[in-house]
This record gives sequence, C-alpha cells and structure tokens, in this order.
Amino acid sequence: MAHQAGPVWCDGEVLDEVVDYPIHERVLPNGLRVVVSPDRSVPVVAVNLWYDVGSRDEKPGQFGWAHLFEHLMFSGSAHVASGEHLQLLQSWGGSVNATTWFDRTNYFDTVPVGATDLALWMEADRLSSLADHLTDDSVDTQRDVVTEEKRQRYDNVPYGEAMTELTVMLFGSDHPYGHTTIGTEADLAGANAQAAAAFFRQHYRPNNAVLTLVGDLSPKEAFRKAAHAFGQLPGGERRHRQPPTALPPLTGVPQQAVAAEVPASASYLAWRLPVRDTAEFDAADLALAILGQGQTSRLHRRIVRDGRLAAAAGGQALRLIGGNSVGLLHVRAIPGLSLDAALTAAFAELTALAQDGPTPAELARAKAQFRREWLSGLASFDSRADLIGAYATLHDDPNRVNHRLAEVSAVTADQVQAATRQFLNPDQRCQLDYRNEASNATP
Amino acid sequence: MRRRDQRPTVAPAPRWRFGLPRTSWLDNGLEVLICHRPGQHIASVCLSLDIPLNSEPRDIEGVATITQRCLDEGTLQHPGISFSEALEDIGAVLDGSVGLSASQLFLDVPTAALPQALLLLAEAVSSPELAESHVERHRELRLADIAQTFASSSRSAQVAFRKACLPRRFRASRMAGGSASRVARVTVEDVRAFHATHYRPEGATLIITADLTAEVYAWVDAAFSGWQVPGTVTPQHPTLEPRAPHRWLIDRPGAVQADLRLGALGIDRTDPRWADLQVATYAVGGAFLSRLNRVLREERGFTYGVHLTNQPMRSSGLLAVQGSFRTEVVGEAVQLAAQLINITEHALTETEVSEAVRYYTGSSPLRYSTAAGVTQNLAALVAAGVSADFIDANAYALTQVTPASATEALAGLLPPDRLTLVAVGSAEELTRPLNDIGWPVTEHSL
Repeated sequence: MAHQAGPVWCDGEVLDEVVDYPIHERVLPNGLRVVVSPDRSVPVVAVNLWYDVGSRDEKPGQFGWAHLFEHLMFSGSAHVASGEHLQLLQSWGGSVNATTWFDRTNYFDTVPVGATDLALWMEADRLSSLADHLTDDSVDTQRDVVTEEKRQRYDNVPYGEAMTELTVMLFGSDHPYGHTTIGTEADLAGANAQAAAAFFRQHYRPNNAVLTLVGDLSPKEAFRKAAHAFGQLPGGERRHRQPPTALPPLTGVPQQAVAAEVPASASYLAWRLPVRDTAEFDAADLALAILGQGQTSRLHRRIVRDGRLAAAAGGQALRLIGGNSVGLLHVRAIPGLSLDAALTAAFAELTALAQDGPTPAELARAKAQFRREWLSGLASFDSRADLIGAYATLHDDPNRVNHRLAEVSAVTADQVQAATRQFLNPDQRCQLDYRNEASNATP
Repeated sequence: MRRRDQRPTVAPAPRWRFGLPRTSWLDNGLEVLICHRPGQHIASVCLSLDIPLNSEPRDIEGVATITQRCLDEGTLQHPGISFSEALEDIGAVLDGSVGLSASQLFLDVPTAALPQALLLLAEAVSSPELAESHVERHRELRLADIAQTFASSSRSAQVAFRKACLPRRFRASRMAGGSASRVARVTVEDVRAFHATHYRPEGATLIITADLTAEVYAWVDAAFSGWQVPGTVTPQHPTLEPRAPHRWLIDRPGAVQADLRLGALGIDRTDPRWADLQVATYAVGGAFLSRLNRVLREERGFTYGVHLTNQPMRSSGLLAVQGSFRTEVVGEAVQLAAQLINITEHALTETEVSEAVRYYTGSSPLRYSTAAGVTQNLAALVAAGVSADFIDANAYALTQVTPASATEALAGLLPPDRLTLVAVGSAEELTRPLNDIGWPVTEHSL
C-alpha cells in the first residue's frame, strides 16, 4: 500500500469548509451573554453555563471553596429542593453535572428538547436565590462529600498528589495557579454558609456568566427562552479582570521527592507555557504532542518502544488563560527498575527538538491528530456547548471554535522549534519524583 | 405566558427509535454493520472478534491481551513503527479492549480518511508482524499494569468482587488480562498460534458509523475481502453460575478510605427480567437521589458517590453496591447499604418506576447522538451476542415495567442472606467494626 507522505485533508482551506457551526450571540440587558448554535439532528438541547470563577479566584485560606460551592449549587434554591435539580432533569433523560477548574466553573444540563425551559428555569432559580437558601448543615454535608472526593481521587490513589505538588513548584502557593481546585482540608473546614453566600454574591451574577445553548431550537426561540428565564435577574457591567502577568520560564530546576508508596517510580516534569491558544502556546502544544502523544511520539518510541527504559512516557499541555499555561511530561518506570536512563533520554529528545525542530511528517501528524481530537470534541452537543462557552468566556470570541483548526494548521516547524527552545528548556523545568525504593534495591 | 416563578412543564419527547444499521456479510463471513449518521465528521469503527477468553490455554491466560496489544506494532505491509505512522498520519487512533466474550478494536478517524484507515485495520488483524521483541515488551508492560491495578483500591475491589462471585472453573472469575504468573509465561509462539487460530473473519463483526455514502461498501470490500483464515473454530461461550457468597477484606494498610462492593451475580440482557432490573437499579442506586446516594452521600456525607451497578456480561452479570467510604464509617455504611438494597419490605413506588423509565427513554437520543456513541453501544451488544433490534425492544420492555415486577426482580437477585461483600482498606481499622455489625470478613489477598 502506498504510504501517504502528507495528508491532503489537512489543508487549511478545506478545514474552514468542514467546520462551520452556526454561532449567534446576544447580551441580555443584565449582562448575561447568550450564545446559540442550532443543530436539528437530534431532539436534544445542551444548556451550558460558564461562570467566570475558578480556583484562581480563591484567596489564601479559601483553597477549595470554588469547588465546594459548586456542590452547594445543587443544595436547593427558592423553588427547587436540595438535589432536585439533578434528580428531576435526570428523570427526564437529562445528563446533568458541574465541574470546577482553575479558570471557571461550568454547569451543564443536556436534556430532551421538551425539558429546555425547565433546565433554564432551574438554572435561573439557583442563580437568583441560592445565596439566600444556604444553611450550615448543607455546607457541612457537602464538605464531608468533598473531603471524600479528595480522598477518592487524590489521597487514596497512587501518584494522586502530583498535580497539587507541581502547581506549587511551578507557580508558588501565592499565585492564582499555585493550588489545585480540590483545595486543602484545613481551608475547606473554614467554609460556612455565610462565606458561601458572599462568594456567590460576588461571582455568580448574570454579568459574570455565559449561557450557551446547542441543539434542536432556533436562535429566536433560544434567545426568547433565555430572556424569559434570566432577563429579570439584576446584573450590571461585565466584570473585567486585570490583565494577568505572564511569568517567565522558571530559573533553575526546583526538584522534589514525594514520600509515598507507589508500585513503580515515576517523574513528572513541568514548565510554564504561554497563555492558551496563542500562536506560541499552539506551537508548544504541538511540540508536546510530537514528544509525548501517540505511538509515534519521540518519547514513546525512544523510551518505551525501542529502549524499553520505562513502562510509559507522555506529555500534554494544560491550557490556561491567566498569564501562563502548563506543559507536562511524565515517565513511569517498569516496577523495580530505575528511571535514570529514561529521564536522560527524555532530556536528550527535548534538546534535539529544540536544536533541529520537528520533521515535516511529525508536524503534519501532530496536526492531523489535533484535528481528529478537535472534531471529536465538537461531535456531541454537550462538549460542543462547553467549547463554545469556553471561547466566549475566556477569549470573548465563541466563533473561534470554527477557526481553531486553521490556527493550529498555520503553525510552522520553526515556531515549534522556537517554542521548544524557549518554553520547554530542560534547565527551566520543575520535577516531581516518586521513587519505589524497596524495589530499587533489587534492580 | 408562564409566570417567571412558575415551574415550566416538560413537553413529552417524540417517540424515538434507533436507526438500525444495514447488515451485510462478506464472502469470508465477516458481518458488516453500517450506520449512516449525517453531520458526523469523525467515523467510528469497531471490529469485534468472537474470541471468548476461555479459548486461552489455561497456563498462558493473558495471551489474548498480549496478542491484541502487538497488533499495531507493525504489519507485513507496514513493518515496525511505519504502521503507527501510517495510522497517525491520517489522524486516526486505534484502541483495543479484550473482554470476556470478545476482543475488540476501535478506530476513530476523520471520514475523509476512512478508506485508508480500513485498509490499515485489516492489515493489523490479518497480517501483524508479531515479532519476538513486541511480545517481550508487551509482556513486560502488562506485568507493570498488573502492579498498577493492585495499587488501585477501586480496581482491586473490582477484581476481588468478580473472583468472589464466580467459581474458579470459569475464566470470568479472573482478570481479563491474565495474572502475573501466567502472563510471564506467554511466548511469541503462543501469541502467533493464538492469532492464527482465533483471529478470523467468520463470527467477527465490523461496525462503521459516520456520515456515509454507498461507497463505504467498496472500501470495506477492498480492505477485508482478502482476509482468509484456514480451518474452523467454534467459540464456546459458557453459561455462568454463582459461587457461594464470600465476605472478603483486602488489606491496604493506612488507607483513608475503603472501597466496597456488596452484591451478587446478576443477569444479562436476554433475561426476561432485564428491563425490570434496569428500572430497579436506577431507583435504588442510579439516580442522583437514588435510595443509596440520597442517604449515604446527600444525608450522611459518607462518600463522594455510591451506586448500584448493573454490569451485564454475555451470560449473567455483576450486580453490586459500589462506592468508596471513609474508613471510620465503613461499618455503618455497609449496614445502611444492606438495608437499602433489601427492598422486599420497601417496594419500589410508582414515582420511582416512572422516573426510571423516563430516564432511560429520554436519554436514548443523547446516548446515540454521536458516531462514537452508536458504535460503542453496538459493540457492547455484539460482544454480548445480542442484535441491534434489542435497543428498540428494550425501550418497549421498559414501558411494561411495574413497581411489583421491578421490586421482585431486584429482591430475587439480592437476597439479604446471600450477598457477597468485598472491602479494600485498612484491615487494622475495618475488621472489628465489620464484625461488630454482623458482617465478619476474612482477609484475602489477590
């Protein structure tokens, strides 16, 4: 079979034709931004709300509050009982949840089209009245739930504390990104109904939110429904954040060992990257893909496949808006073996990519993979709505979902090389090590 | 117009029916299911091979997993890394899963590159290199995986519960990927022999979901009609039977939580009680305010979430309360969970049943709204030996469920005195409280 050197369907012009989701946008008088993208293929509507508040807005002493308070959004409001929001929409076949991240808190109700009004009404009810219906009892119960979430997902899992440790090393604990969303048990203990109410009144406002509707309705219907549900809520001027400062790459190589029992040694390397979805970020993102994603990536080939130096090696970028993003590489050992050779090889690959740049085939491949992932992300109504909400909230441009493929497609090999040199320098990383000492004794 | 403080009513959903795939067969016996879904940019493909895991020789269990993992390490046409390069160049991604009744390969690719991707998929199953170095490495990586499995509380609980529910004579009682001692024995000859015997077009099913035209048949034909394997094999899918109940504690010294499984062997989709059980599991442990989650999470704050999971296999299934609880409350949590799943005295209500039925029928369009959703759901049915008609038939069966039938189904499957318990956590802190509440456990190691 003929080997295709460069996939022709990665041509920028073709891409623009392929991705053309309709985007309609309006701002209600109270400041709520409403974005609508009709799609009649399935009788379903994704209702998605992004609130422009995340763990980066937590002050010292409040770590974990944004996420704890996200749980409280399900604890009942003026006309909705505790847990009813989820229970009722689920009982109509809806898929309902919420997540908290560094840059935002999102709430999504993907429902049969006939339940759209109900979903909007319940979202508006809790936005307008939640702060008046909080009790210390509900805060106490959800604090227990969140503590169990922390144990289940971080404390009781091998390598579970890695991101928490890396964020501190990378940014320092006084930086907005210097702690993760799950927070600390001490800070969670300090939350009460009064503090939660103050937090909601500050951040949960129509003028600090984006409502995205994707699915089986017309723009006219969608705007009318949104205005009916949310229009009467008091709002104000849109909150504008101070432009965040971009931190330069780290100086030196902060290193830390975690004293935890793990089945195999592992190392996590992290870098400060440029802010998400800039040309520089995209170049660094592609560099990390070339290094660390897929069977053909340099780290997998050299470390896992050819060298058999480790059990796993990979990389990714964590896209953030507040001045910096994060670049990550990780290597996990074969149980009982040392990671030294694998780490040496990883640094050699970083250096080689910085010196020589990617091959044309590597760059085309990374873009082809990005394209599939991007289109898969847009395939379902709920994740499409979430992406549109992200670009509206963080970039003030929901239409960018239609342009991202062209933007990434335009990144050159020189830009990838420059980004590797500038942002993924092995001498400007931080490193977190787990060592399986008992096993290391018998190599 | 509705007043703003008045709760909106919900317009009932139009009746939804699954758009059945078009079924055809190639001359070599390969069944082809084509699902046309307009607007889907990414094609989602599954090739399901009829390989029950009891076809693995007992002393080299895990050989099916190693074989599958070696498939994309190179083919005769694309040796070594050039195979992965060819796949990744066209934006494709290939994944695999080895289950008890089928080995399945999943391929996602932009539809424009589907013809090339199908050629590569056919190469991987019909003419993989299966070099010694590939087998050695994947054996080593599988052993590393096993170490990670046993370091994970929830994965250990899953492995232990399966083992506790099924007699040892069934392959299903053991990890699909094989245990360390058996994986360590797998050689390249074993892998080649396993591939030569069991990777065959007859009995296999190819599922393709995308925005398609009739051209797809020519692409399938070009890729797969040349796949010929001599001889015949008749896969045997066993009928599973339950083991006597066990109560096991897997020690994880110092663990801050315990992972619990409390339940029994259940039923599969062909059982007449299937729809009844679906409704009952939603009400008791599927919904956010299910009986279990309402009490153990929302009222007591014992856990991040607790579910009654209903995991069907080709024959029977696993039915269990599943959750991770803080160590100090495990005794109380087990006691409450056992009370809550004992529904003989507390029958399911009309409301619980109608909400559960509405949940399943209302969520169907969403579940099947993407190419990947359609392919993955069909793949699960193919592995279970159930045809795509099941989807609409099941939707109808759900409408016939009554509180009495759902209650009876669950009560019959979870008799209070015949439950199996697995707890993975700190033995030092858990043994006594479990004993004190009348759930004495024996320590078990995996």
